[in-house]
Amino acid sequence: MHSSLSQLSRFLSYYNLEFLLQAALTTLLLSLSGCVIGFVLGFAIAVLRQTQGWLLLPLRIVAVFFVEIFRRIPFLVTLFLVFYACQVLELDVSVFVVAVISTCIIGAAFLSEVVRTGFDSISRQEREAAQAMNFSLAQVLIFIVIPQAWKVILPPTFAFFLSFIKDSALASQLGVVELTYSAKVMNNKGFSPELGFGAALVLYFIISYPLARLGQYMEKRLGISRHRRT
Amino acid sequence: MNYTLQFGQVIDRLPYLAGGAWLSLLLATLAFFGGMVLGVFGAMAKLWGGRVLGGIANAYVVFFTNTPALVQVYFLYFALPSFGIILPPFEAVLIGLTLNSGAYMTEIQRAGFLSIHRNEIEAAETIGLSPLQTVWYVIVPHIVRTLYPALSNQYILLTLGTSMAAIFGVEELTGRALSLNAETFRSIEIFTITAALYMVVTFVANALLVFVGRYYFRARMRLL
Repeated sequence: MHSSLSQLSRFLSYYNLEFLLQAALTTLLLSLSGCVIGFVLGFAIAVLRQTQGWLLLPLRIVAVFFVEIFRRIPFLVTLFLVFYACQVLELDVSVFVVAVISTCIIGAAFLSEVVRTGFDSISRQEREAAQAMNFSLAQVLIFIVIPQAWKVILPPTFAFFLSFIKDSALASQLGVVELTYSAKVMNNKGFSPELGFGAALVLYFIISYPLARLGQYMEKRLGISRHRRT
Repeated sequence: MNYTLQFGQVIDRLPYLAGGAWLSLLLATLAFFGGMVLGVFGAMAKLWGGRVLGGIANAYVVFFTNTPALVQVYFLYFALPSFGIILPPFEAVLIGLTLNSGAYMTEIQRAGFLSIHRNEIEAAETIGLSPLQTVWYVIVPHIVRTLYPALSNQYILLTLGTSMAAIFGVEELTGRALSLNAETFRSIEIFTITAALYMVVTFVANALLVFVGRYYFRARMRLL
């Protein structure tokens, strides 16, 4: 404890702080890019699952399997799977890209369920009425479902993004230089662990807490008291 | 693509991996029940604890839900020795996961406690039940049904979360996969099988939870 206090002034040097902030930015970028692409993919999967008729049936089955499989695999295992799959397929990509791909996969699986719940929240009669007026599926979604369902979809999506800021810590195991990894680097530089990991905890808190408050505000504002942690 | 998949070496070691799955489930179960107890006290403190206890519970929840579980365990495992507390890996991960899930379950159970009618709590007060008795005899029987789906979801998420114990050298499913990987270098095969085992474990756990929930607690749940 005494040693960590004496290290504090050395720890707070310009280059260390720059390194930590850069790593924090990587964490944010990783979760943001993964969640945005994941949301687009998840949305596509949810729309695909809304289609009817036997023509797209194989695709629907693949979609269901994809969602059910990747919701049941830990993020760490997904990371290793994608990492080694890239090796097998001889793709020359950086570990950051591997982490983004894994985030996209997990995000698509979880967020497609979120979107599906949103679609299901619209009463059946409204959709049937639209169908009776000869609306196509795309028209039903664009004019009837999405204008009402986005309120249900947005808060849990945001919650997922928040939880992913924290889960992306696991990407440090592949060597992505994000916040947790930078804490380990600090530790290896000879700073005491409570300083390195303490700084990481504080920085995660600084990133996550305002966003969590924003999410709470959004949930209240949209008037949906649906607490889902995905 | 010049890679031939060879599952033989991994299939031979399937019992070894399955043993790791047991350890994962054990870790998740212990952390879940520990977190549930913490959550009950946290929710009680937040709702009826007054300024001091409520403030402490709130700080606990805000801190643990806004930082990654991995870094929390890192802190427990690497930083506590400087304060003279040395934890073995399994215990460090267990304590970290318990504290983390306790924070989430405080929020879940607080929402459950709030769903109880005020009159019922006042009635319990009138017949002289202590707060702990009120929770056990009045609140818990009511909220079990509403909270059961959320809690079983938390249990599944916790089972997936235990995979990070591998980073600290605990020989659970992912940990055993990593050491098998170091032995055989059949990486993609090993992690495919590990993923499949995780799927089997969470699917079976989920099916059991849904079964118990539907027939014992009459919770509204669906498989899949």
